[in-house]
Amino acid sequence: MGGSGSRLSKELLAEYQVRETRSPGSLRAACARERMVPVPRPGGWARPLAPGGLLTLLSRFAFQDLTFLTKQEILLAHRRFCELLPQEHRSVEESLQARVSLEQILSLPELKANPFKERICKVFSTSPSRDSLSFEDFLDLLSVFSDTATPDIKSHYAFRIFDFDDDGTLNREDLSQLVNCLTGESEDTRLSASEMKQLIDNILEESDIDRDGTINLSEFQHVISRSPDFASSFKIVL
Amino acid sequence: MQRQWSLQAPGEPEAEPGGEELCEQEMERLCLSQQPVRVLPYAMVDKRFIRQLREPEGVKTSCWQQWRRRRQTVGRRLGEAARRLTRGCGLWEGALYEIGGLFGTGIQSYFTFLRFLLLLNLLILLLTSGFVLLPLVWLRPPDPGPALNFTLQCPGSGHLPQPGVSKFNNLLWNVFTGRAFNNTYLFYGAYRAGPESSSTYSIRLAYLLSPLACLLLCFCGILRRMVKGLPQKMFLGQDYRSPLSAKVFSSWDFCIRGQEAATIKRHEISNEFKMELEEGCHLLLLQQQTRAQRACHLLTYLRVNILIGLLVVGAISAIFWATKYSQDNKEESLFLLLQYLPPGVIALVNFLGPLLFVFLVQLENYPPNTEVNLTLIWCVVLKLASLGMFSFSLGQTVLCIGRNKTSCESYGYNACDYQCWENSVGEELYKLSIFNFLLTVAFAFLVSLPRRMLVERFSGRFWAWLDREEFLVPKNVLDIVEGQTVTWMGLFYCPLLPLLNSVFIFLTFYIKKYTLLRNSRASPRRFRASSSIFFFQLVLLLGLLLAAVPLGYVVSSIRSSWDCGLFANYLAPWQVVPELVALWLPPPSQRILYYLGSHAFSFPLLILLSLVLTVCISQSQASSRAIRRLRKQLVWQVQEKWHLVDDLSRLLPEPGSGDSLGPESPVSRGSRPRSFCPGFPCPGSPGPRPRGNPSASTLGAPDSPCPALKGLPAT
Repeated sequence: MGGSGSRLSKELLAEYQVRETRSPGSLRAACARERMVPVPRPGGWARPLAPGGLLTLLSRFAFQDLTFLTKQEILLAHRRFCELLPQEHRSVEESLQARVSLEQILSLPELKANPFKERICKVFSTSPSRDSLSFEDFLDLLSVFSDTATPDIKSHYAFRIFDFDDDGTLNREDLSQLVNCLTGESEDTRLSASEMKQLIDNILEESDIDRDGTINLSEFQHVISRSPDFASSFKIVL
Repeated sequence: MQRQWSLQAPGEPEAEPGGEELCEQEMERLCLSQQPVRVLPYAMVDKRFIRQLREPEGVKTSCWQQWRRRRQTVGRRLGEAARRLTRGCGLWEGALYEIGGLFGTGIQSYFTFLRFLLLLNLLILLLTSGFVLLPLVWLRPPDPGPALNFTLQCPGSGHLPQPGVSKFNNLLWNVFTGRAFNNTYLFYGAYRAGPESSSTYSIRLAYLLSPLACLLLCFCGILRRMVKGLPQKMFLGQDYRSPLSAKVFSSWDFCIRGQEAATIKRHEISNEFKMELEEGCHLLLLQQQTRAQRACHLLTYLRVNILIGLLVVGAISAIFWATKYSQDNKEESLFLLLQYLPPGVIALVNFLGPLLFVFLVQLENYPPNTEVNLTLIWCVVLKLASLGMFSFSLGQTVLCIGRNKTSCESYGYNACDYQCWENSVGEELYKLSIFNFLLTVAFAFLVSLPRRMLVERFSGRFWAWLDREEFLVPKNVLDIVEGQTVTWMGLFYCPLLPLLNSVFIFLTFYIKKYTLLRNSRASPRRFRASSSIFFFQLVLLLGLLLAAVPLGYVVSSIRSSWDCGLFANYLAPWQVVPELVALWLPPPSQRILYYLGSHAFSFPLLILLSLVLTVCISQSQASSRAIRRLRKQLVWQVQEKWHLVDDLSRLLPEPGSGDSLGPESPVSRGSRPRSFCPGFPCPGSPGPRPRGNPSASTLGAPDSPCPALKGLPAT
């Protein structure tokens, strides 16, 4: 049960290489490029690391083009990421290759008090067992939660964060878990069973357009577009 | 992008051509699309891959593509710089970050609003000094000739024609009342200019047009921000509330750091949800009332509103009498008190008023949202009405508006008591502005701080009940909007009042931050950032309109002082414009300008605008009809699809051991990702459903707290 809908799987990449040799015309004609398919490496990198300072590395890897972060924010993110690594692995090249475990990321003050912290880390993690974040995953996280990210991408990732069972839709269990995360587990804030049922009924009534009992991504984005303070609350700044 | 399981499920027939085509179509679409790579919702490795597919390295990009890419980066950098500029170049970013982390975006929005007002005031100041002050200082126009001979019979012997001579020559007192600045550029009276000519820069025109231009700019800026924060209401026939689902999904502030803040936020969210559910039940009960009950309900509404309306009328008449008394008795020995009587009465009224309103509204037992909204509306009405009454009563004493006094007949204003009436009006507004700020400071340090210290020191039922002060965002917003309205009112009489207001706002930020962090507790009622942006901007807009109306009236119809200021020889300040138009523009342009200002142009324009409005309204109605039709169609299609799936699974052979098309295999429900949405590939389709009615679990259960809840229709 993958649900890792944002990863081009290794099989897919390999298929691409195969398909390229088999039928070079189909996609090549559309994309108009040479036969150039990156070879997936264990760390997920597609080209060899070049020596050099951090700034040249960052400009080489074009983080500014691939994220919504400014250069200062990327450098700050790199500094904070390096603080989570053990002392001996803090060189520039190693930090770009290393992965940090989930517990360490969850210890960041920006995430510590967040009820969705485990879901956030799971969603952005690209490791096979979804339990560690690389620097690029961390940058992806900050990019989606930054000020300048488009509402579309924010709502897309919000959907994936709220989808607790990773099945691609928000069903009643997802919604009930979401509400429990929001209100907390203490006795005076927890909603009773009937209140929870009424709340979820109201939510589904309003947002489930095709009446199938679940909320899919486009319905979710439609609902979110009617809430102007979503973009300002869905923000994490280091 | 594609579901993992469609490639990994064991025993499955070969990856169907459908699945492969889908993937290929998706890749083609991504390669061809013009969207920047950063907008795609994939991991960075994949984004890099797509980027390479679009523009592989080693392939020479054409000059045009390179230029386009450079233009995009430059455009992006410029956009970032412009955004930073409108946010004040990072002013107070650290403080806002801290406040947002501890209290959430609702309270942070008040402090962001303060920053917005500071920038607005600095912009107004820049305009005024750039167009009026700098040319005045640089060009040094000659003084006008001696004034016209002034003879007027003033009633009351021994009445000093110059009320400006005060018994107290205390410097501090003169600063507080504005007398010390009487001949400086702070007030209208000190501005002088020679007669108009066709070749020199017209200070008069600049002085006249800069308040109007500033008000217009502020109007556009506020309107823009208001529209951005407009909560989207559903106009498709449902009740007039913002959707609960949108509230639920956007309720957590991800910028919160700190465990206590998170706990407080959870309490707020829980209260909000419970309130919403209560409100929903209440609404349902209301809809089931008979007509007689509804009429009764409306009467109770009327009762409390009429009562509060009477209180408001009483309050503003108190302000009227206070202002009149203060102006009529300027030479009394108690004039220290009388100088600040109008601001004092306004402050008292605005302090007691909300308390009374809250008490009265709570007696009626309305649902919580209605209570809050009603109280808020009446507070806004009281605040703006008190300012309006203050300016009206000033107008009555100085300009004899609405009454006939002999001293006003010859010159159009009360020339006996006021030699330079613009200065007097400017001084009143100056005093009001200073008094408001001093009140803020006094409340912060003489009320909140001792309250916190006493509550911390003593313990007991009374002190526990008193508790620290609640940081109420609406009340603070109304105070700051009042200050801004006074500044706008005074733009014509006291052009440097925005400078003063900027200093006050700057200091208010730190005082309020100190009060919030040290002396307050978070309010249990949640104040959403979105509704707050809309509310702030709406109140600000009302204040702007309140300030613009007297200004327009004075500029166009009231005779200026004969003896001071720029418009001494004009019937009304606006008369400068026709004179300059005649001096500067050639006759054809003059004719065009006169035509544009006449009725013959405004009537066709009005008709044209009505036509445009009609077209827009009919378009939106047609769109909402189309949306309703499409929704019904979507529901019907999904129901039909599930019927077909059920039929198919019924017709398939019975599941044997190892047969891959059993009910527990995901393939039996169709291998196409069910929720494939346009624009972005969806993270996947739902897992296997239990057989039978897909919406069986959502029928209304008999134990729900609200009777007659609308459940989901069964398929």
